[in-house]
Amino acid sequence: MLLKAIQAEGLSKRYGETLALDSLDLSIEPGEVYGYLGPNGAGKTTTIRCLLGIHRPTSGRAELFGIDAWGDPVEAHRRVAYVAGEPFLWPAMTGAQTLEFLARLHGGTDRAYRDELVQRFDLDTSKKVRALSKGNRQKVQLVAALATRADLLVLDEPTSGLDPLMEMVFRDCVTAAKARGQAVFLSSHILSEVEAVCDRVGILKEGKLVDQGTLAELRHLSAQTMDVTFEGQPPELPPLPGVQAHQAGPNALRFEVTGSVGPVVTALAGHPVTALVSREPSLEEIFLHHYDGHASR
Amino acid sequence: MPAVSEAPARSRRHQETRAGRGPVGALVQRAIRDGRVLTVVFTYLFLVYSFVQPVGYRRVYTTTASREEFARGFGSNPGLRLLYGEPHDVATVDGYTAWRVGGVLAIAAAAFGLLAAVRALRGEEEAGRAELTLAGIVSRRMAYLSAMAAIGAATVILWAAEFAGFAFGGLPIAGSAYLALATVLVIPVFAGAGAVASQLASTRRIALEIGSGAVALFFLLRVIADTVAGAGWLRWLTPLGWAEEMRPFAGPQPVVLLLPVAASALLLLVAARLGATRDIGSGLLPERAGGTSLRLLSSPTAQALRSQRDSLIAWAGSFAVFAFILGVVSSSVSSSGIPAGVDKQIAKLGAGSITSASGYLALIFFVYVLGISLFVCAQMGSARREEASQQLETLLALPVGRTGWLTGRLLLAAGGAVAIALLTGLLTWAGVVAGGTSVSLGQMLEAGANCLPVALLFLGIAALAYAAAPRASAAISYGLLVLSFLWQAVGALLGAPSWLAGLTPFGHVALVPAEPFRAVDAVVMIGIGVAAAAVGLAVFRRRDLIA
Repeated sequence: MLLKAIQAEGLSKRYGETLALDSLDLSIEPGEVYGYLGPNGAGKTTTIRCLLGIHRPTSGRAELFGIDAWGDPVEAHRRVAYVAGEPFLWPAMTGAQTLEFLARLHGGTDRAYRDELVQRFDLDTSKKVRALSKGNRQKVQLVAALATRADLLVLDEPTSGLDPLMEMVFRDCVTAAKARGQAVFLSSHILSEVEAVCDRVGILKEGKLVDQGTLAELRHLSAQTMDVTFEGQPPELPPLPGVQAHQAGPNALRFEVTGSVGPVVTALAGHPVTALVSREPSLEEIFLHHYDGHASR
Repeated sequence: MPAVSEAPARSRRHQETRAGRGPVGALVQRAIRDGRVLTVVFTYLFLVYSFVQPVGYRRVYTTTASREEFARGFGSNPGLRLLYGEPHDVATVDGYTAWRVGGVLAIAAAAFGLLAAVRALRGEEEAGRAELTLAGIVSRRMAYLSAMAAIGAATVILWAAEFAGFAFGGLPIAGSAYLALATVLVIPVFAGAGAVASQLASTRRIALEIGSGAVALFFLLRVIADTVAGAGWLRWLTPLGWAEEMRPFAGPQPVVLLLPVAASALLLLVAARLGATRDIGSGLLPERAGGTSLRLLSSPTAQALRSQRDSLIAWAGSFAVFAFILGVVSSSVSSSGIPAGVDKQIAKLGAGSITSASGYLALIFFVYVLGISLFVCAQMGSARREEASQQLETLLALPVGRTGWLTGRLLLAAGGAVAIALLTGLLTWAGVVAGGTSVSLGQMLEAGANCLPVALLFLGIAALAYAAAPRASAAISYGLLVLSFLWQAVGALLGAPSWLAGLTPFGHVALVPAEPFRAVDAVVMIGIGVAAAAVGLAVFRRRDLIA
């Protein structure tokens, strides 16, 4: 059996009184792009620190390609590249010096690919890091990590500070990495980014994984929306299992359907329908669905 | 990107390039580069200080008779023992140099070890960079050993500088090498202490405070061992005392070298063990909860006082402890056993008159002038950090004026200096009284206040440096301060003409209570300080904020 890129079992982390991570189970295949969603403070960065053996799990374990991250971080990191959430770099070094330093720390950098990435990200490597904007410092980190061609990229909100153009370059690079068989663990709260590049998504809430699956699976579990417009007054329909209907305008009804839309279509037959628009839930709606209680508290 | 997609997921070919330039080499190089300014500064200090002492001694005491008279006069003087430690064989150039250099440079070595270790360990962690480093193919032990290897390299450089100073000063080669070794071996011990403090504290500042506490404690132990009759055994408890017990040039005891070696090894091992299992980015000491108090938030200055409160308490507490203990010690100072005429010669060494209790107290307060000036420089350093960490940007985006902000920080520093100076006077008085002799409280408070003109002058200079050259401001203000202090000490020793000696503010400090307060000098120094601060404010008003 092929080793998992990431395998976490019952991973928990407690900081004093706070339980930041609550028995997390994760399993990510080589070549898979996994989106890790959650609002600020949900435990995304804590997860990554435990996955990298930078923080010690209170209980449970995390393995990268079968190697225990806490027990042997050096071996575990050989096949991993990391982009931290904040671009904390050495202010007195230039971009080129930083890239060289990080390359030597990692050991597996493809220098030709790195030069190509520098061009694609439009990075001026002759400037000192302290003279760079946050987005440009972020690019330094990204180039350093991508250039390793590591089998697993662990990215903690990697596009914060990037402009939309660079955001597209980043997405291309992730897609290319996936095509080469690299796994990507992408922690983010930018839903469009996750929707665009990820095969599978996990949603974290207060340290717990509350939902996980491919986008199609997550959609299947959530309600999809049907907007139906009628000629004149909407008819009275009998209550349907798994369907919530409410008025959405003088001549329109909105149905929130969990599961198959068949019963709704059957019930509508014979009524004067002028328009029917069906829409799958966006990731945003799935996300907000999980966080509704949290947000209104 | 055609070229990219065809490449294998991981190209071994690129890993093989630049063989031998692995992570350890990169880390050590990085650590050496980060510490190079500190190393260069201390190298100059070690070189100059160790060169000047033998040369000055030969100049002042030209005959054997005068040297023997000097030795008789100093063997038992607590005032000098306090500063320089226990003398062995000071009738020779070698013995004298060992005595004068050992005590002072051992403290400098302790400071260097502490600063270097805390910067390399807790500093990198606090800045968030340790996380990035450790996400590479780098183990914690590897990162730790690289940082320590860089400090080891700096230790060798400082040893070479001190050795060269002695050798050029005309001391025997073998003895010079041994004396330099005795001094620099203090570095790894306090680097070890700094490494342990870096595991405990979550910020560089707290780690430095813990480490400085250790340096102060060991200095105090050495002072008590050297000045209080019957307490000599305490010397074995402090690394600063070990340096003395190695007795360079006066019956060397090389076996004592094992003590600092063993202590460093133990501390460095303990730090490695502590660092092996904790979360990177946090310390082992529990973080204090944020608290709920909303006091001291009414203005930026109030908030600065709030954030500096612990640091102010630490500074004031250290001064209070030292003032009290040295006050107690002062009661044992007397002129008995010191030949007439020697006292005058002591003055040539830049030590003032130390044959009476008041002369001794004046000398101690002279050192407090340096201490309180260091405090104001540290306060400006904290203002600079507020700018560098971009908190100031947040403040100034609010309806908060630059001039008001900086004026507030200056007043805070000045107020702190006044409080520390008066507290020091008060506690010295208490110490003297507790030691069984009497002294007037008013006189001690005056001696404390006498520290302020120089401190306020340096506050002005530090403010101007901060405004005009923010990134170099710490180097400028601390550098000028230490240079001024050494200028006074070295100038007097070499018999510099008075106009040259008068260039340093320390040449204008009256030795209160042995001498009357010099009002004119004080007013001029305060005036220059205020003027420098005013120029600083004007310059700061006009410049960009620099991270």
